[in-house]
Amino acid sequence: MCVVSKLKAHSTARKSLIRTLIFVIVILFLGSRFDAYNQGQLSVVLILFIGVLSVTILTGISGQLSLGQGALMAVGGYCTALLMTNYKLSLWIAIPVSIIGAAIAGLLLGVAAARLSGPYLAGTTLVVALAIPTLANRFFSVFKGDEGLPVDVGYSPKWFSNTFGEPTYEQWQLYVALPFAAIALFFASNILLSRSGRMWRSIRDHESAASLCGVNFSRQKIFVFVVSASFAGLSGALYGLRGLVGPSVYPVSLSLTLLTAAVLGGIRSISGAFIGTIIIVFLPDWIDLVIDNFELSEQVSNYMPALISSVLLILTVVINPAGVAGTKLHKHK
Amino acid sequence: MDTFLSAIFSGTSRGAIFALVALGLVLVWRGAGIVNFAQMGQAMFTTYIASTLIANGNSYWIGFVVALVSGAALGSILDVLVMRPLSNKKKTELLSSDSMRAAIPVIASLGILGVLQALAGIIWAAEERGFPAPAKQEGFTVAGNVMPFTAFDVFVITCVAITLILTSLFFKRTGMGLAMRATALNQEVAKLSGIRTNRTRTLSWAISGAASSLAGLLLTPSSNLSPNTLDLALFIGFTAAVVGGLDSPVGAVLGGFILGMVISFVTFYDTPEDVFLAILAVLLLSLIIRPHGILGSKDVRRV
Repeated sequence: MCVVSKLKAHSTARKSLIRTLIFVIVILFLGSRFDAYNQGQLSVVLILFIGVLSVTILTGISGQLSLGQGALMAVGGYCTALLMTNYKLSLWIAIPVSIIGAAIAGLLLGVAAARLSGPYLAGTTLVVALAIPTLANRFFSVFKGDEGLPVDVGYSPKWFSNTFGEPTYEQWQLYVALPFAAIALFFASNILLSRSGRMWRSIRDHESAASLCGVNFSRQKIFVFVVSASFAGLSGALYGLRGLVGPSVYPVSLSLTLLTAAVLGGIRSISGAFIGTIIIVFLPDWIDLVIDNFELSEQVSNYMPALISSVLLILTVVINPAGVAGTKLHKHK
Repeated sequence: MDTFLSAIFSGTSRGAIFALVALGLVLVWRGAGIVNFAQMGQAMFTTYIASTLIANGNSYWIGFVVALVSGAALGSILDVLVMRPLSNKKKTELLSSDSMRAAIPVIASLGILGVLQALAGIIWAAEERGFPAPAKQEGFTVAGNVMPFTAFDVFVITCVAITLILTSLFFKRTGMGLAMRATALNQEVAKLSGIRTNRTRTLSWAISGAASSLAGLLLTPSSNLSPNTLDLALFIGFTAAVVGGLDSPVGAVLGGFILGMVISFVTFYDTPEDVFLAILAVLLLSLIIRPHGILGSKDVRRV
């Protein structure tokens, strides 16, 4: 029995590791082929992928719909920015610390949210997403209000340039985001295949049955919130490092974008999260490709991506709620 | 003392509108079991329709009536096209659990909100435009002093009062209202006793659409009209509905007035920027102290 479970643990970790390695190789390959603009887009994909994973874990796996991931991203972003500007820390130290900060924020939110369900939770987290960024103006001396705190990834250190050649700014952005995204992917893939993942799925599917099987569901609900908040905080920290951390960087619509990406790709799967992020990030470019053939005014092309992604969201929910990656789910009832 | 009076009056007038928004949310929640996050998107859309009509030289009242009718039409179309197929689709594995069944309509309504805002942006340009008020927005003068109460406020409160009386008469005195109350109470039983629940659902979407259109028409004269202007009203309306009890129309009205007062006092005695934090504080307080709302019934949700 013991041997079997050990073997199983091995294969779980190995499965996640292989997935992660393939992911890293594909991203490095794509990064070397793309031009500067698309390299920038690719690093946005990696950054938002982490955020979408937080939605996948929270909503898809444990069944708690949160529209406030943007607020948790803002917590991560502001922690990193404050640590980097006030204490001159390098981002490799600032980001892990701000993940802890975001996890604490997630703990507070989770304690409140574990009592709520369904639309109550959605509405409350939506109000949280709206209210948290206004704190930047309330405590102007610390957070610098609407102007925000300018931060960026800086330039690559000497040893890196000497070994791999001098990367451009976009490439360096990509190389900073990649290890974090890979760690997030490995961690998410592992935790979903593990005991915790099974417990979270069980509270999603049937709370009473889960608690009869010995799952302490209010504790697990809070735990999911903490894990998901750590992902969101990491994503928010990297998102802010693109140049600015401010209230305008983390609007309410960011939370909705994450949710849209998660649902489009497939709300229950990690590969779905990645597909959804690619769709959301590259959709404006694809639409521009098509629209350029027609003579349309600027206002149409400005609102087109939002229109298309919202229409896709409704169609996904009505026709194929399992998303692009989860069509299989449909077969068994 | 002057500030206090202004805060009271502005709170009453604003609160009346928020009561209307909350009422719209409560009607759909009772009728269909969905919190409609697209509601103020619908209101924004119909207000744009009215604004276009008025800009083309029609009178305010034509725009007013057209907005209400199109609000009802839009609500029922959305129900028939999106929400009804969704609720009849319970057999897939994804929708087999309660939590996902509650989450999916919320996601759909957010999608509707996105579509409506993007469409409004495409059709009516992105720039803000004003919206006329049917009555003067200067305060009455009593004995030489300008009172903080305008003719428009009187119009707002009259409109809201008429709507509330009409809806409560509709629910208490008509057969259709009885059918809707029965559906809200227990859908299965209502179906078995011969009520066409699909129809009552659509009707509750229509009434809620008209009510929120009215709220949109009354809110926009004091701010500019743009695809995102009414978002804040949705947050406030949701909070009001939760404070009053999501399944109680009277509670929604009460919650609307409470929120109106809180917001107006925060605006007058503190800075307008703190309004968001005040809303969050009220929402959290009410969820901690009385999770089912002031007048909500306890069975709605277990805590």
